[in-house]
Amino acid sequence: MADPTYIDKLDTVVADVLADWNIYSTLFAGLLAAFAIYSLVSSQDPDIHPFLLARQSTPSPIRQSGESATYRSLETPYGFPLRAGLNVKDADAPKWTSGRNGDLRDIWKAAVRGALNEDGSPSMKQGKIYTVLGRQAVEHSLAQVTQEINVIGHHLQKAGAKTVAICLTDSVELLTSLFAGAFYGFKTILVPHNLPAETLSAHLQAANVDALIAEAGGLDLSAAAKGNKQLSQVLWVAQYGNRHMDWHGVPEDIEGSLQVEVWHELVEEKKDLAGLDIPEYDPKEPAPEINTVWPSSEQSGKFIDFKSENLIAAISSLGSSLPRNQRFSPSDIVLSIDSLSRSYPLCLIMNALFSNASIALNSVAGEEVDFGLATVGVSPTVIIASSRTMSDYHDFVMQPQAGAISSFGRWVQTRTLDAGNMPSKNFFSQLARIGPTAELSLDHLRLLCISHRIDAPASSQLTTKQLTDIRVFTDARIVYALTGPGIAGAIAQTNVFDYRRKDGPSHFGSPLSSTELTLTGVSEGLASETPEGEIKVAGPSVVGGEKTLSARARISKDNTVELCT
Amino acid sequence: MPGISPSISAKERILTDYGKNKILEDSVPQAEVMSIASPINLILLSLFVVLVYWHFKPKQPIDLPRGPPPTVFRIYTPKTLLEFNGEDNRPVYLAVRGRIFDVSPGRNFYGPGGPYENFAGRDASRGLAHQSFDEDMLTKDLSAPLDDLKDLDKDQLENLQSWEERFSEKYLVVGKLVAEGDPEAPKS
Repeated sequence: MADPTYIDKLDTVVADVLADWNIYSTLFAGLLAAFAIYSLVSSQDPDIHPFLLARQSTPSPIRQSGESATYRSLETPYGFPLRAGLNVKDADAPKWTSGRNGDLRDIWKAAVRGALNEDGSPSMKQGKIYTVLGRQAVEHSLAQVTQEINVIGHHLQKAGAKTVAICLTDSVELLTSLFAGAFYGFKTILVPHNLPAETLSAHLQAANVDALIAEAGGLDLSAAAKGNKQLSQVLWVAQYGNRHMDWHGVPEDIEGSLQVEVWHELVEEKKDLAGLDIPEYDPKEPAPEINTVWPSSEQSGKFIDFKSENLIAAISSLGSSLPRNQRFSPSDIVLSIDSLSRSYPLCLIMNALFSNASIALNSVAGEEVDFGLATVGVSPTVIIASSRTMSDYHDFVMQPQAGAISSFGRWVQTRTLDAGNMPSKNFFSQLARIGPTAELSLDHLRLLCISHRIDAPASSQLTTKQLTDIRVFTDARIVYALTGPGIAGAIAQTNVFDYRRKDGPSHFGSPLSSTELTLTGVSEGLASETPEGEIKVAGPSVVGGEKTLSARARISKDNTVELCT
Repeated sequence: MPGISPSISAKERILTDYGKNKILEDSVPQAEVMSIASPINLILLSLFVVLVYWHFKPKQPIDLPRGPPPTVFRIYTPKTLLEFNGEDNRPVYLAVRGRIFDVSPGRNFYGPGGPYENFAGRDASRGLAHQSFDEDMLTKDLSAPLDDLKDLDKDQLENLQSWEERFSEKYLVVGKLVAEGDPEAPKS
């Protein structure tokens, strides 16, 4: 009969404890219940299964002595072909054949065709192109741009131009010239627009340029033309403000050898003849190359000869590296505040056009711009920026302006990120944004594409803490990519759902589906655990198929790429 | 007796203290004050703290077990290849036209006791071309130059080709076979 006594005792204890119930107890119980309910309601599965972040790329089962295994994205593991193209299906092609890789012409064709409905019929909804000038955005319709492509392409083709240098700020004219090159068969070279005249002249000479498209008044023509006998055509692009001026003048010392035209006059004159249709083209005929200049430590920089296939592979793999619901869609406005003469922003903008998203270009775009100033004028959903721009903005604007209240908001949001979820826009996100980013037009922002140049100073490398802060402050997910000379698009890019934090600079995720990565010069003892060595990149997006970079990198335990500092 | 008296007095003090408390407890009825520090409140509060802690507890990062380390691609000579015949649980390798395949997953066929066991650790090109598993298909002299297969006819070459394709699909190429004395051969 021991049990009843125990139960009796327990009963009295409980009764005693409950007898002390008072107003405070009710309060605590209420708090407890409220928090339990909040905890239940707010709990959700992480955005991505944690296992997918714990092993982000696949190593090959075999390696060469002195090298690491070859790492590839989960999309295209060892034994599968790397992604090489956009899988463009022509209307007259048999239904079950695989698509073509495509080229820039197919991208423009897809952009002009407009978005497709779910059943594959055209919805007639085209994207738009905006150019941001200060606080206002100018809208261009794609039909108008097609017309300009025809006028400019036809003009340069008739003048016999084979190699055209484009020395412009990010603008619709730059895109037009690229597409004109693709349709009318001349090679284009993207030259950074702020080079000193001697460097530009050297570039023009090195690439044997016979036509130059440049900003009217932004260039000393006689200095640039010096030593460039082959240069026969100059096409000035005049800003809206200076169109009334006469730009036809040629400096005396080079008069006669140069023919000078002005873009808007040419378009005005010939647009009726050119027509609004995309020129017919034979997809079997390869599209011409696009060259860019990789900024290197010496002033001159070096030329990167991107073949059309390199760019297409990169454009396609950058698109497919995002999960389906995060890809560019017709409802997006993609703003690039990084210069289009760099291949990462260029490939993303091309991908946006191919996905029928609207794009916005900013003439101040570059590697080092003021994030706050560059994003006014439009309300983008996606921003493409460089690591230098973002780390400056974080260190000089976000960090100092974060007060106590926004720090608390940030703390709560960071907990949600740590649990693997992107915090939704709520009370705390409002709190977190007081100060740091309140004045920006980032209400619709959902994605930030940040690229880090492999030879940029280590100070611009973003840490995971900075990335977390930027996520909280802008309410946007981030992909963070590593770019290198000779590799179109990027070498590697982080998973968009990877919010994990650790000390030190962030990793760069897994290789894209168009690249594979091997570390060379690995000391044998460490080869299996976290190999460390020089980066060798191969794949369809690499110029010449393979490229070894001098920077050292490490494959960490979760199979992500890290730069060694 | 100075040693005893303090202890007694201490005892007395305890007794009196106890007595006083007893008296206090008896005389003063339990006051109906609302105490925030009552057991029930403490229980509720600690439950609340535990719940908050659980909610914000940082999650342990997941560590997946690592896969097997990658095999190192190596250059073999017929003599060094001989060792990989599958005995004592060693891997089973065989060479086809200079490429060495790791056929360990097909140990039942190519390993000891399997129908193709003669090929384990050897250059199997001729045998596969002739569709024959006999010992005389193998190059006896391990120091001799590699079998150049010049005398094979069209059908046999086709045979060999299809074997090679099948191996490439299923098995990993783990090395290259060179003759002894070849400049590529590892120095022993």
